[in-house]
Amino acid sequence: MQDFENIQSIWQSHSVELKISSEEMLDQAKKEVNAIRTKSLLNIGGMVLSFIAFSAALLYFNFDSWTTNLGIEIVVLAVAIYTILLYREHRLISRNDFTEHPGAFLGKLHEYQLSRFNLYNKLYWFYVAAISIGFVLFFFETLHNLDTWIQVSIILFTVLWMVFCATILRKAFMKKEKERIDLLIEKFERISAQFHEK
Amino acid sequence: MDQKDLLFKQIFDSNSKKIFHLCYGYTGDADAANDLLQETFLKVWQNMDKFRQKSLISTWIYRIAVNTCLTYLRSEKRQAKDELTETLIETKTEEYSEKNEQVALLYKSISKLEENDRLIITMVLDELPYHEIAEISGISEGNLRVKIHRIKQKLTELYNQHARL
Repeated sequence: MQDFENIQSIWQSHSVELKISSEEMLDQAKKEVNAIRTKSLLNIGGMVLSFIAFSAALLYFNFDSWTTNLGIEIVVLAVAIYTILLYREHRLISRNDFTEHPGAFLGKLHEYQLSRFNLYNKLYWFYVAAISIGFVLFFFETLHNLDTWIQVSIILFTVLWMVFCATILRKAFMKKEKERIDLLIEKFERISAQFHEK
Repeated sequence: MDQKDLLFKQIFDSNSKKIFHLCYGYTGDADAANDLLQETFLKVWQNMDKFRQKSLISTWIYRIAVNTCLTYLRSEKRQAKDELTETLIETKTEEYSEKNEQVALLYKSISKLEENDRLIITMVLDELPYHEIAEISGISEGNLRVKIHRIKQKLTELYNQHARL
């Protein structure tokens, strides 16, 4: 049988270990935001690489047919526009530091989430349409001299790959990203709420 | 390091251990307590200029921590408190010793108390003056004394009940 004084001595004998400093704590908070920033940068990096690759094809290869050039030009333009849109979004979350300006950052995070949703919904279909037209025009010349079965295989693979990206991959990506941003918003709103109420 | 950083470091160094213990008592889990500590001190960092020195800074921080604890587990995405606390406390008893067992029993008993009572008793266990606890929890000192007496009895009863099992 223990009385309260004994219970209190048990509590006080249990020393908790705190292995974090004030700087580490603030850094840890920034890390969660940085993960989203890094992902957004990687996304932009991938698009820039695609832009360079398609532009190089346009510059360094001589195609006979105008359709091929037009096809690549359409793809390059679509990639460039999409990259600019991604960059504009990136700027929304890269300018503010949550630990310094919580209200402003939270506002931008909401804006970012909405903008991402639009980019991967309405705008994505314009992007896919442009890329598809580009590839159709590109294939006119490039597949012309190949065997029929190779032509069919390449077209089939391209179509399947684009369908896969536009459906399963896009949805999974959107779901994961929404969950991650929702969690961050929830946490930041919780942190900001106590002082808004007063 | 600018003045704000220095001041924050001082505040963190002198209060973080107590706040961590409070959060640990509330959740019974080191990871969750760490999250709560982080949220509490982020609020402190962001609102340092709003602190008006009408009370002790430690009282102000405790008040933030108590509010943070109460809203944390109520969030929809968190697990139910009992489920969380019990599971995690069980994992803490790997290294068997009489002291570890007593500590685990104590956390388990605290987890059976009401949310507000859990926070009040952890402050009592940490020997915070009653007038400070009253200010933090927003209860008059007279009412608090009655409440604390009741919680102490309940905790002792729960502890002894668990110890007999």
